[in-house]
Parts: sequence; C-alpha cells; structure tokens
Amino acid sequence: MYVEWKLPDVGEGIHEAEIIRILAKIDDVVQADQVILEMQTDKAVVEIPSPVHGKVVQINVFEGELVRVGTVVFAFETTFENQTGNHPQTVGGENKLSPALTTPYIRKLARELAIDLQSVTGTGKGGRILEEDLRAHKEKDDRKGAAVLESVKDIPAPSAGLEERVPLRGLRRTIAERMVQSKFTAPQVTGMDDVDVSELVKIRKRAAAWAVEQGIKLTYLPFVIKAVISGLKKYPYLNAVIDADANEIILKRYYNIGIAIDTPEGLLVPVIKHADTKSIMELAAEISTLTEKALNRTLHVDDLQGSTFTISNIGSFGGKFATPILNYPEAAIMATGRITRKPVVQGEDTIVIRDIMTVSLTFDHRVIDGGMSARFNQHVFHYLENPILQLLELR
Amino acid sequence: MVVGEFTIGADLLILGGGPGGYAAAIRASQLGKSVTLVEKSGFGGVCLHEGCIPSKAIISQAELYHRIKQSSSQGIRLMHATVEMEQLQVWKQTVIDQLAQGVTGKMKGRGINLVQGEAAFVSENEVRVLTEHGSERYRFQQCIIATGSIPVELPSFPFDGNHILNSTDALNLKHIPKKLVVIGGGYIGLELGIAYRKLGSEVIVLESANQLLSGTDEGLVHVLTKHLKILGIDVYLHTRASLYHCVNGEVLIEAVVQGERRTFVADEVLVTVGRKPNSTDLGLQQAGIEADKLGFILTNNQLRTTNPKVYAIGDVAGHPMLAHKASYEGKVAAEVIAGLASTKDASVIPSIIFTDPEIASVGLTEKQANERGIKVFVGRSSFAANGRAHLSGSQDGYIQVIAEHSTKRVLGVHIAGPEAATVIAEAALAIEMCATVYDLTLTIHAHPTWSETLAEAAESVQNISSS
Repeated sequence: MYVEWKLPDVGEGIHEAEIIRILAKIDDVVQADQVILEMQTDKAVVEIPSPVHGKVVQINVFEGELVRVGTVVFAFETTFENQTGNHPQTVGGENKLSPALTTPYIRKLARELAIDLQSVTGTGKGGRILEEDLRAHKEKDDRKGAAVLESVKDIPAPSAGLEERVPLRGLRRTIAERMVQSKFTAPQVTGMDDVDVSELVKIRKRAAAWAVEQGIKLTYLPFVIKAVISGLKKYPYLNAVIDADANEIILKRYYNIGIAIDTPEGLLVPVIKHADTKSIMELAAEISTLTEKALNRTLHVDDLQGSTFTISNIGSFGGKFATPILNYPEAAIMATGRITRKPVVQGEDTIVIRDIMTVSLTFDHRVIDGGMSARFNQHVFHYLENPILQLLELR
Repeated sequence: MVVGEFTIGADLLILGGGPGGYAAAIRASQLGKSVTLVEKSGFGGVCLHEGCIPSKAIISQAELYHRIKQSSSQGIRLMHATVEMEQLQVWKQTVIDQLAQGVTGKMKGRGINLVQGEAAFVSENEVRVLTEHGSERYRFQQCIIATGSIPVELPSFPFDGNHILNSTDALNLKHIPKKLVVIGGGYIGLELGIAYRKLGSEVIVLESANQLLSGTDEGLVHVLTKHLKILGIDVYLHTRASLYHCVNGEVLIEAVVQGERRTFVADEVLVTVGRKPNSTDLGLQQAGIEADKLGFILTNNQLRTTNPKVYAIGDVAGHPMLAHKASYEGKVAAEVIAGLASTKDASVIPSIIFTDPEIASVGLTEKQANERGIKVFVGRSSFAANGRAHLSGSQDGYIQVIAEHSTKRVLGVHIAGPEAATVIAEAALAIEMCATVYDLTLTIHAHPTWSETLAEAAESVQNISSS
C-alpha cells in the first residue's frame, strides 16, 4: 500500500519547518519508528520517525529547505516485497489524488494564502472546500494574530560584494515572526528602576561558594525568579494571557518562568516549569542544564513551551536598561541589568556606596496598567532588597 | 579551456526549447524575468520536430487513406487513391515549420534571447554553450533543465537510419516499407506500426513482455489487440530479437519467440524500446545536481534539483514522459523562480496513445485502486451503443469509470475507442473538480457525440451501487 507522510502541524502558529537532515534515501527500507528526518521547528530540532515499515519511494524535500505544513515529505510503499524494481510507465501518470476535497483553483489560492487545506472545514457538498471557506479561515487566522512576516520584496539589487543576502531561516525566522507578532499585537509599556541589592550580593556571594562545592553555579537569577513569583502570586494579572477571540483574560495559577538565553544561532527561551515549587538551588541547577542544552541545541520542544512569565538577564552583557519585547502572548517580561556599585543618598545627607541592579519591566497595557505594574515592581524589589524575606516563603 | 571564450550573465537560463522549456520561458518572461533559452536543434523540441506533431501528421493521413479505401460500402468510391510519401513529408514539414515559426516568433516577441547550441554545466552557476561559431559561457542566477529524452538503443540493433530505424527516422521515411518489423510494443511502436500498416506495409510487432503497452490497463490493451488482428498486424509476445543480418537488401531478424528460435524478414526494422532522460552529457556533477540510476534528475515538488539555483522539468525529471506534463512543470518552475507560491499540484495527468482505437487514461485504474486499498465501483459503457461511433466507422471499445465506493467520487477514467483523446479532457476536469458519478450523469451531454458514452459509464456506476 502507498502511504504519504505530510509535515504535520507541530505547534501553535507554526506554518513551516526547516529540513535539517534527511536520514533515508529513495528505495531504503525503513522500520516503523526509525528516525528518517530531522527538522527545525518552534526553536527546537525535532526527530521524525517513519510512520510505517516500508520502502521509501518518494522524497519531496531537500536538506535546508523550508517546508510548509501539509506538504507531502515522504511517500512509502508498504507492500514492496512482492514488487519488482523498475515500475513500467503507467498510462495515467502519477495517480496522486488530491487529499483535500477541493478544486485546483482553491488549492492554488490556499498556497498563496499560506493555508493548510487539511485545517480548513469545507462547507460545500460532501465537505468540499469552497473559496468562502478559505477566506473565512484566513480571517480567523489573522485575528488570532498569526502574523506572517511579509517577505522582503522590492529591494533594489545590491551591487556585488557590498551586500550579502542571508536567507531568513530556522531560528532567526521564528524569532523574527514572534517579535513582529508581539510588537504588532500588544501595546507594550516599559518601566525602568534601580534596585538596591547590596544584601543580596552578600548573601549570593556566601551561598555561591557553598554551592560550588555541590557542583552548582549559583547566579542571581534564581533569587530574581523567587522574588518575581512572589509578585506574580500577589498580582496575577502579570501572569496572564489575553484570549482575544473570547474577550477574556486568562489568569494562570501556575508559574512557568521562561529564561532568555543567547546562543550562536539566536535567542532561545527555555522554560522552568512550576518554578514556585523549586528551591533556589534546584532553580540554579535547572538553569545550568537548560543553558547547556540551549547551547548544544538539544532542547526538546517541551522545554520551550508553556512559559507564563519571562526573565531576560541583560546584565551579563553589561547592559543597563532595555525595552524587552513581550514573549507573546504573555502579559509581562522583566529584564535585569548589570549590578554596579553606586553612590546613593541615604537619610538626610549621607552618601553611601551600594550595589544597584537595574530592572526593566515591559507589560501588555491591554491587561495591566501603570499603577499595577508599579505595585508589582515594588513588591518584587522589596524582596530583592531584603532577600531575608524569601526565607519566609520558603517551602 | 576554449580560447576566446567570454562570460555572459543570464537572469534565467533555460536548457532545451521543447514544450517544457518553451512554456517555462514564456511564463518566466510574463513574470518579469529576463530569459535566455538554449536549444541544440529545433525550437519546439522533440515534440514538434520528431514526436507528437510529426507522428500525428503521418497517423492522420494514414487514417484518411484507410477510411477512403473502406468508404465504398458507405457510398463513396474513389478510384486509384495512392499514397505519395514524398508529398506527405513535404506537407508534414510545412506544418512543422509553421508551428516552429510560431514558437520562435512568440518567444522573440517577448524578448527572450534564443541561443542555438549545446549546453553543459561547468560549475554550480555556469554553463558552457558550444555554438556554431565557438563557445560561450553563461553565468546564471537561475537555471531550468528541460533537455527531454532520447530513444533507447538496443546494443544488437544499433540505429543506422537505413535498415535499423529509430522513431525519428521512421517519421521521415520518403517511401512506405513493404515489410516493417517493429521491436518494442510500446505506444510509439504501435502508433507508427498501425500508421504504416494503414499506408500499406506488412507489419510485425515483437514485444519482450507478455503484454503490449506494458503498464496500461489490461482491458484497454485487449480492445487494441483485437483491433490489431483486424488490421492485419502480427503481434509476437514473449519475443526477444537477438541479432540481424542484411541479405540482398532485406533484414533477417533472429528472435526467440516463447522459447523457440524464429527468423523474421523485413525491409526496415523500427526499434522503439523506450526513451531515456537526456542527462548524460550535461555535466550535472560539475553543478552538484544529482540524478537517479536511470539518469532522471532528482527534483522536489517545486522542481528544484539538489543545486538550489537549478530546476529540472519534463522528461529529464521523470515519468510520465509527456509534453503536457513538461509544459505544466515548466510553468510551475518559472513561477517558483519568480517567487510565487507555486508547486506541482495536479491531481492527475491524462495520457493518450494514438493507436486505432485510441487509448486514453486519467487517474487510478481498478488495479491501482485495489493496490492502495481503496474500495471502488467500476462502471463501463461500450461504444457499440453510441450512434456517432457507428457513423465514424469505429464502434469497438468502451469507457470505464472508477469511482470511490463510499462517495462515488470519480477517481479514474479509461477509454479505448474513437476520439478517446478528446473525451478524456472532460474526465480530467471531473477528477480535478472532485466530481462524483452523479455530477457526470447530471451534466447534459450533447447528442450525438462520443462523450455520451462517458455519461453512460458514470450512470452504470450508479446503477451498480444502488442495486
């Protein structure tokens, strides 16, 4: 029997995937579940197993190619044993019948609108997909904010050697699409503050020495995460997403913290799941693991999904303030800057030297107003300035 | 290195000016590309100069002569009708020249740069073209390979253009062979064999397999086989021709027929044992373009090869080797190159064999449906009940409709009979539009026409499925 394998919809809003490696050749006999393809999706490399035990009779893609969801990637012959090698040319050609119940013009339109026909509900006779169905689907898609980056067109031809054209592929493309979607969907406001973390610096220094003995690298990030979660519990609107279709705000009662990691290929945001249930040391260990996986590109799709709030440490690059872009659809994102020793006026007229960390918080103004964001910040800062308070919430 | 060679820049370079390359050139230029097309012999390709068009010229005249000879019982008596092969060739060439002029005129009119020469890759973005006057190097942004296919030669029967003919030679004969032996009972051999039989040759067909038109639905082949007998063509299946000698201007062919040695005598031998992709002399390796073991260039569903700047279309990119498939792929490749969201997307490709009766087929056969585990209804209607078929003097054959069991959606239509080539167009549209047998039946078919039989075949599916 003849079996086709199509690129499935692997995650929310993903229309394309890049083929990284093809691990089978035409005429190869593959086992069911044998890995035959590696592809780049949603910021991770995914291995694709063969759906059947059979002979590969068709490979429609090449390594490095960007493939749309719904594209037939492989075709297999499962009853290959009793067939001879060279198939004679049959009258009637390839005999590939269109899987979607619709006409050639609608199939062309779907390609142009970047719609996977498998995901469209046909309202015509026997479920046939009509032009109206496509238009309706497209409108719904647009409302969902599945922004498709406009391909760069009408740029005058570059003079040779002075410009280089780098294809927007893989991770870079995903980042580009996500940023456009975020920036053009949510009205974003960023507030910036100084936080006195002198106490935290002392504690971290002592604890880090102890942690090293356990083989754990203890940075400031776990402390920031703890302080943030305390704030999120008090101000749930910062741990939320907006459901535009339903006109509702979804408040999340679980705390999955995304941490932004810079890799040679680009930004990755792995997620610490249920960070509220983990100790500072556990958080530190998990951050190390996720960072390493990110750098080695071994993150699983699971590692990259489900965050409810994101923290980006720009301080490690010496950055002071930033206007972080929301990790859409999350309602808020925090960037922590470099900790520097600074003169601070204390009391009436005393100047003391303190350790100051800069913090930038971007929020979705549809969900959160300035007042709430300030109160959230005050709560978080209070914990960062008085790290001893974190003891009180220890579990 | 060729002395005096210089490099020319090309936006889109197309290798081959057949139905594929020509269609690609026109479409690409419509989409604003500047196009250079290289052709080694005639613009219009094999199709126009040594394939579809000249063969239909011979076939149609042979059919006319055949009808004239039979028409006395139908009230027309023509005395002394004779075939003047030389004049027929002159007329055939006039038609080809007219069409070729049309093709070149249309391309020139669009500003397409036409180059006569033989091309081969020298690097991943350069092609060397050997022309009459020397050698030129083209550096391309993008390239489409549309070099088509060439006849397969049997080692023991090398083409000499005199006694051992390939299809091109057979189309250019200035006389009618008295005795013609055709080696290879595929569509080319049978089309030409029947034509020369009608023009007066004694024709023998030797086929190595156990069926003529290998790969074609057996029912259709059966209709043809019966008719070959009526026409007086001798068919030998399971027959391998091993060698030949020329004695007194005649060719003696040694063959093994179902295990027994036999000698056949002919004036000319036509060898039509298939066609192979024309890809060996293209320097594919220099450009990093991969081909399979048969020489077909590997492409994806947008016709792109393993070199991202290079596309391949038509015969050289795989079966079925059909002009209309090449044109379709040419347009798709041009659109992909122009940045449109185009892809190979046709559900079916109709294919036609211009034998007598004609055989035309589109979509799944009953056997293919069974192999894929698709449950189907098969409806059939014979041309014996079609008035128009009787009047045209050929009422053999039938139309078969394959419909999906549960939905009655048309999955395939297979025709052996008069005007099959014309009627199949409606069937192809029906399949692309996802029509059911009800749609075909409910469409009013004009009377008296051959296509009425298609509606009847669809209706017979309804009758079977409701009984």
